[in-house]
Amino acid sequence: MADKRTMTLNLTDQEMSLLEDLSARKDVSKTALLRQALRLYQVVEARLSRGEKLFFEDDEKKKAELMVV
Amino acid sequence: MKTRVHIIDNATGQPVEAEIFDEITVEHFIETQQNWRPVVLKAARQLASRSSHQLIPQHFHWDWTTKAPELKVLANVFYGISYDNQLQGLMKLETVGQFCTCRLPEQAGKALVYVDYVEVAPWNLKPLASALGEKPRYNAIGTRLIEAAVLKSKEEDCKGRVGLHSLPMTELFYTRACRMTPVGRDPAKQNLLWLEYTAEQAENFLTGAR
Amino acid sequence: MKFNSDLGWLKKQAALEDNCFVSVGGLVSAVEDLEQKSQQATASRTAFVNLLNLARREHKLTWEQFSQKLDVDLAELIEIENDESYKPTPRTVSKIANFLRVPAEKLFVLSGLARAHDKQFQEAALRFAARSQPVKALSSEEHEALKEYVKFLCER
Repeated sequence: MADKRTMTLNLTDQEMSLLEDLSARKDVSKTALLRQALRLYQVVEARLSRGEKLFFEDDEKKKAELMVV
Repeated sequence: MKTRVHIIDNATGQPVEAEIFDEITVEHFIETQQNWRPVVLKAARQLASRSSHQLIPQHFHWDWTTKAPELKVLANVFYGISYDNQLQGLMKLETVGQFCTCRLPEQAGKALVYVDYVEVAPWNLKPLASALGEKPRYNAIGTRLIEAAVLKSKEEDCKGRVGLHSLPMTELFYTRACRMTPVGRDPAKQNLLWLEYTAEQAENFLTGAR
Repeated sequence: MKFNSDLGWLKKQAALEDNCFVSVGGLVSAVEDLEQKSQQATASRTAFVNLLNLARREHKLTWEQFSQKLDVDLAELIEIENDESYKPTPRTVSKIANFLRVPAEKLFVLSGLARAHDKQFQEAALRFAARSQPVKALSSEEHEALKEYVKFLCER
């Protein structure tokens, strides 16, 4: 495994609540969830920077573009 | 990561020590193209003996020039198995993405590790080797790669949960040898069969328990 | 990562893995693709040969007379009929298409010179191949099959 470094993260009550909720839903630890979120951000960024667009599609096949900051 | 694992040498039926590693480079991709593809093509021609040259698909392999950037994406994890100075198997996992969610009802929505690509060198696959009049060289490589996927899933805190889309001709390996649960055909992926491990099934696979 | 070092487990797994294809999104997907295409090619080829044969018999021509009528090499017509792997020349296929009054591009696909993209076309070829059998005289069913198939080729 690659060497790891430690950081301290301050979250608001709402953010912590969200993190707990998501980690329970995904059945992963909060740390694992944050790592996944970081990787997902990299995937999205890489594709956006290549000019691709990110869409969500609902049941009626209507596409809505996701705004990513 | 670089670890010694046993695979089976079919010539003797005995285990031999191969190496499984995660530092995959573009050179490994190119090795599959230069060494594996011609053998697959040759075997495919034999298997579909009425085919003509125009029927050989020209585009079925990855375009490695576009895949090279995937090596830098942290969500992707690659493993290779090497023995006798040759790549014997290659796998790409995704730890986040659209397919990284369980579909089995009892674990729906939970995170899993997705097997996006796995391949055993063609000279190790009996159906292809037989088509060329040869015996397959090594065995249990697919097993070791799926084992690596489960271990990585545990490392990622996904408890060993793994998912993948199987081609029709590979369903037997995943259902019989790996004992994954077939969940259903996925219209979003050419109706390929989606298979999944629960944490318990993954553990049973690792230990050999039924 | 701690891999299983139990050799009994390994041998059991090897026995289960034996004779399996192991692939996801890899080169082995080409093998299945190729087998499917080969089956389609065989049906198309049979339809082409049967079409040629029935057309010749419909006009009550020997192979020699047929080759003269078409203005193609007799040896090539015999190759087409007897060797499934033989690819006719585009000129020959065009001449046959003219004679039969069907679109040449359709016959290019049937003869294997071009690739089919139309599932309906492939299915029709398979049905025609199954219905038409080479016997001495055209039965009314073969006559009907031939008529219908030529109509299909012209209409699409």
